[in-house]
Amino acid sequence: MTPEHSGKAEESPRQRLLSAGTPMCAGCGGLQALHQIYDQVGEKTVFVNAAGCMTLLSIYPYTPFRGSWLYTAMACAPAGAQGVRDALDVLLSKGHIDAGQDQLPVVLTGDGSAYGMGLSATSAAIDRGLDFLYICYDNEGYGNTGHQYSAATPAGARTATSRVDGYTGVKKDLFAIWSAHRPAYVATVIGTEPADLARKVKKALSLRGPRLLLVLAPCPTGWGFEPSRMVEIGKLAVESGIWPLKEYSDGQVRHTRVPAKRAPLEAYLGLQGRFRHMFVPRRNEEQLAALQRQVDDYWEHID
Amino acid sequence: MYRIRFHGRGGQGIKTASRILGTALFIEGFEVQDAPRYGAERRGAPIFAYVRADTHPIHERGVIHRPDLVVVADETLLAISPAQVLEGVTDSCVVLIYSAKPEAWWRQQLPDIAQIVVLVPLESLSVAIPVGALCAGAAAALLGKVSAEALAHAVEEELSAHDAAMVESNRKAILAAYMEVTPWRGLVCSSLPLGVAQTPPPVWVNVPHDAVDIGAPVIHAGATSGLVKTGLWRTRRPVIDRERCRRCLQCCAWCPEGGILAGADGWPVIDYEHCKGCLVCAAQCPFQAIGVIPETQAEGGADAQTADRK
Repeated sequence: MTPEHSGKAEESPRQRLLSAGTPMCAGCGGLQALHQIYDQVGEKTVFVNAAGCMTLLSIYPYTPFRGSWLYTAMACAPAGAQGVRDALDVLLSKGHIDAGQDQLPVVLTGDGSAYGMGLSATSAAIDRGLDFLYICYDNEGYGNTGHQYSAATPAGARTATSRVDGYTGVKKDLFAIWSAHRPAYVATVIGTEPADLARKVKKALSLRGPRLLLVLAPCPTGWGFEPSRMVEIGKLAVESGIWPLKEYSDGQVRHTRVPAKRAPLEAYLGLQGRFRHMFVPRRNEEQLAALQRQVDDYWEHID
Repeated sequence: MYRIRFHGRGGQGIKTASRILGTALFIEGFEVQDAPRYGAERRGAPIFAYVRADTHPIHERGVIHRPDLVVVADETLLAISPAQVLEGVTDSCVVLIYSAKPEAWWRQQLPDIAQIVVLVPLESLSVAIPVGALCAGAAAALLGKVSAEALAHAVEEELSAHDAAMVESNRKAILAAYMEVTPWRGLVCSSLPLGVAQTPPPVWVNVPHDAVDIGAPVIHAGATSGLVKTGLWRTRRPVIDRERCRRCLQCCAWCPEGGILAGADGWPVIDYEHCKGCLVCAAQCPFQAIGVIPETQAEGGADAQTADRK
């Protein structure tokens, strides 16, 4: 973006910091958000990446990152971030690097790790007050292995391991779990709301301690929609109220966008193959009403 | 033994195709292996799947390097060397290509390939059927060992998680593809299992130990992934119409690849070397200024665009 084209400079840089050429699927909502986040967090970061779709970002000898990247097993990315932080602290204390060369450990995992396998290591890292940023790209299933259900899969969604009537559990509330630890910052974001996302990244970067950016990542492959509809579906997730945009800091939860009039949930569900069984061969009125009621109940208590 | 190798793109149903063919062969009494290659099953990316079938126990495993039948669900893959479509194709191997272009055209394009069969897109189909499924039907006919009944059963079995209407439309389409190549029924010949005698010994290369900063899989430069040309995944191409574009640059913000950048003059420029063809930009452009054309109609265009940017 040229300076004379003012006003849009933040939205449209000449060059994105995160390089193209990654093996993420066409239309990946997680990659869209990561581009926006990386433009702000920059290259003075050490990404600690648990196994998942985004492990494939860096396949030797290729990486889209300008800064450092480290791969860990699925359950232990926050422990990896602790090691990186400790190592940097040792280098700082011995004078091998100065404060200007310090880097931010950034954990990057999918929902399988963030909501499930890695939760213990995450909880412990927050307990220790680890100074790190956690980015979870939540595509509501184990996307890299064929989209089996995870603890983040919403009720009723078909996955590779819940093929007929969909997932019978409920989506775990990771925002509440993180907030209950009283960390520095927790926020839900989505790449299709770039202004809200940019403000939250900025806020997260202004704080120290454990910080989570929980990104809903519309997934054409796992959710069953045409890649071209990714932004439409992301916007509907927010407008229908099923993905509330909110943040936690200083013991308070604030909703950053309260839809004045929520779109009907089925407008969101109906665009996705994983919910198709609720519409054909016949509409499952009971299930559709129950899911709508859950969204309505949530917002009833929000100002 | 029959060795069948499927080539297509993520989203075409290549894995399902291999399963349908494998199950049909199994119903006919064969011992069968079917497996996709794991690792790059991304929409639009080159996908491989393998089927082996034999009347005796199969002792081979893994990737098929010497196929008896190669199935090409997307003809544009033939021009892409990493897709390795023609790897190990001998004169006894049949190459089935799903294409609207006539067989004579393909013979001219691929003079070294002895046996080419073209499956033309079936215009009689009223609903969109994954190309992979059609190819599975045609492949079954080329083998000459699968009855239409076994094929129909295999479709029902493999698609059992889907609703009845979808199974039915797929079954019809697959059987239509099966009938379409009936003149070549049984064209594919089985070949002998490869024993130790037929397998060339591995060539050992002694690699001296390097210092850890050279020998370890550490990447010492940033942003190297730009060297990977993911534009090869694209089957449809977004094209910006400058008559309509108002340079709002929303497309730059929405592109999940970071693949649309603002040029110095303020016009958005699509990076065709990396654009995967998700078409989010075309769907979201508030001025309908981004059109979509099939990649096959844009040949040569990529180079011109790239030159533009430089």
